[in-house]
Order: sequence, then structure tokens, then C-alpha cells
Amino acid sequence: MQEELQTQKDYSLISKNTPLLANLNMCENIAIIKEVHELLSIKKAEELANEYLEKINISHISLQRVQNTNSIDIFYTMLIRALMSKQKNIIIIAMPLIVNDIKYLNDILNNINILNANYKNILILDTITNEHYYKGCLCPIIK
Amino acid sequence: MRMVLTKQIYFTTIGLIPLFTIIAFLFGSVIIGVVISLATKYNLQDSIDSIIITFVINEFAPFFTALLISLRSGTAINTEIAIMNLNKELNTLNEYKIDLINYLFLPRIISGIISVTSLSVLFALIMLSSGYLFILFYIGMDFHTYKSLLINVIEVKDVIILLVKSVAFGFITMLIPIYSGFKTGQSFTDIPISVLNGMVKLFIALFTIEVLSLLIQLQ
Repeated sequence: MQEELQTQKDYSLISKNTPLLANLNMCENIAIIKEVHELLSIKKAEELANEYLEKINISHISLQRVQNTNSIDIFYTMLIRALMSKQKNIIIIAMPLIVNDIKYLNDILNNINILNANYKNILILDTITNEHYYKGCLCPIIK
Repeated sequence: MRMVLTKQIYFTTIGLIPLFTIIAFLFGSVIIGVVISLATKYNLQDSIDSIIITFVINEFAPFFTALLISLRSGTAINTEIAIMNLNKELNTLNEYKIDLINYLFLPRIISGIISVTSLSVLFALIMLSSGYLFILFYIGMDFHTYKSLLINVIEVKDVIILLVKSVAFGFITMLIPIYSGFKTGQSFTDIPISVLNGMVKLFIALFTIEVLSLLIQLQ
């Protein structure tokens, strides 16, 4: 997988350096990917975005903008946006930098599984200093 | 892109119409009044119609519209792009292979061209209409005579100058703030500097276009 990532750049990035667009609401932030890359109509793309938000019971944030939502909702929106892209792999870089309160990591991982219906490869990359955040985590950890 | 373009046209054109109409009405009656009284003072009554048309359609309407849109939308777009740059939102667009030109820049430039052109035409129409009020009280001319006087003196050349200048102004009014915002540094204190530089460059560009158009018309 690492070789594939290095050679093809076939991944969507979720990191502090790829924030949501502040002048779009959550639904529009997700829908933009399908609108641009698959030329899906705004209505259909937003319906699809709302379907994904509904899956993890956060459809109430659909019309809210970044400044009115919490970090975990922002993270889920970023994840759904990455799932909308055609890339087979998703790389999450330093989750504690995106999500402020990461106490319930297994809940987050559970929601990632619910959202990942297309079975994309999801990889979380982090530094050793953040290792304590992942204690008791259900996913395999490779050092 | 269609949605972004629609939003931009709404914010740049529709949002400006109420203020714009009031300004055009006030300026129209006052400025046309000043032109008429000066023309009368210097015995240029026979040329009042062509003076009004040249002044309003060729010069005042496109230039004043471009200035208003620069102040209202130019500053907003410069700040918006600068903040997007600072927040790394432009990086997000690049990372998700969303073309910055198609998604961000082109809709704003097209909306600028549409806005300045349509509002210049509107400005000229409102100015000429409100100018009639002054003429009615000052000279006592009836509306039909005023209308036919202006229609007789308008040439295709005047309309072409209005359109070409409006397109040039619209293009510059959006391009310079976008460029300035795009070149903003990575600190919050760089945002006011970026807007300041962008606006100064924009005003210089607008005056340059105005001077060039005057020079071309003089030839």
C-alpha cells in the first residue's frame, strides 16, 4: 500500500492542512467533490451528502458552517468529503490536531466504519508523541 | 461553477442595486444640472445633448460603477481570497483537484464583467432619467422633447465605448483583488496589507483605463 501511495498519489488527505471551506456549509463542502469531479447536479450531490451525514446522525449540521460546528463534526465532514472522491485510499494525518476531544476514539472508528461503505483503505498517520491517544483502540497499530 | 457564478452575481450586482439606484438618481439630477447650468453660462445650449451623452454614457457611468463595485466587492473578494489562502483552504482545493481558476477565479471575473456592464447601463439610464427632473424645472422642457433630443444624439460608437470600458473595468475590478489575495503572506497581519495594496493597484488600473480611453477618443 505504501508503494502505491508513493507512486500513484491515489489518496485523499484529511489533515489540518486541508480544512473545510469556510464560505460553504457542511453539506456544500461534501457535495462540491461530486459536483466538480462527476458533474453531479447540485441537488443530487447535496442529497448524497445528507445521506452520509444521516448515517451517523449528524444531519443537523448540514446547513451549518465551520465556525458553528465542533471539531468532531468537522472531522466527520472532512471524512465524508474524502469518501466522495474517487481515490481508493484515505490518509488521516494527526487526528488529535483535527479533533480536540479525542477521548472516545473507538466511537470515531466505529463511525468511520459505518461511513466507509465503499471499503476504501483508511490509514491514520501520527507521531509517536500522540501514541497515548490510541491506547485501547480497536484498529491495528503499526509502528 | 454555475452555483458560484450565481452567488457572485447576486452579491456583486443584485445586492448593490438599492444603494446604486439612490446614488445614480442623486448624482444624475445634480450632475446633469451642473452640466446644463455651465453649458448655459458659456453659451453652449446647442451642444447640451451631446455633452450630456458623452459625459454620462462614455465617462461617468462606467467609471463610477467600477469605483462602487471596487469599493464594495473588490475589497470583499481580496479579503476572502486572502483568508482562504491563510486558512490553507486553497491547499484543500488543490489537494482535492478542484481547479482554482474554474472554481474560484473565473466565476468572480465573469460576475465582475456582467455586474459592471449591466450596472453601468442601469446607471446611465437612471442618471439620464433623473437629469430630466432638473431640466424640467430649469428649462421647462417636456419629457418627449428631452427623450428625442438624447436619442438623436446617441451614436453606436457611444454604446460600444460604454460596453468596452465596462468589460475592461469589470475584468480589472475582479482580477487585481483576486491576485492580491492570492499573493497574501501567511500571517493575519498580512491581510490588511494585501487589501490595501490590492485596492491601490486597482485604483491605479481603473484610472489608467480611463485615461487611455480618453486618449483614444481624443484621436
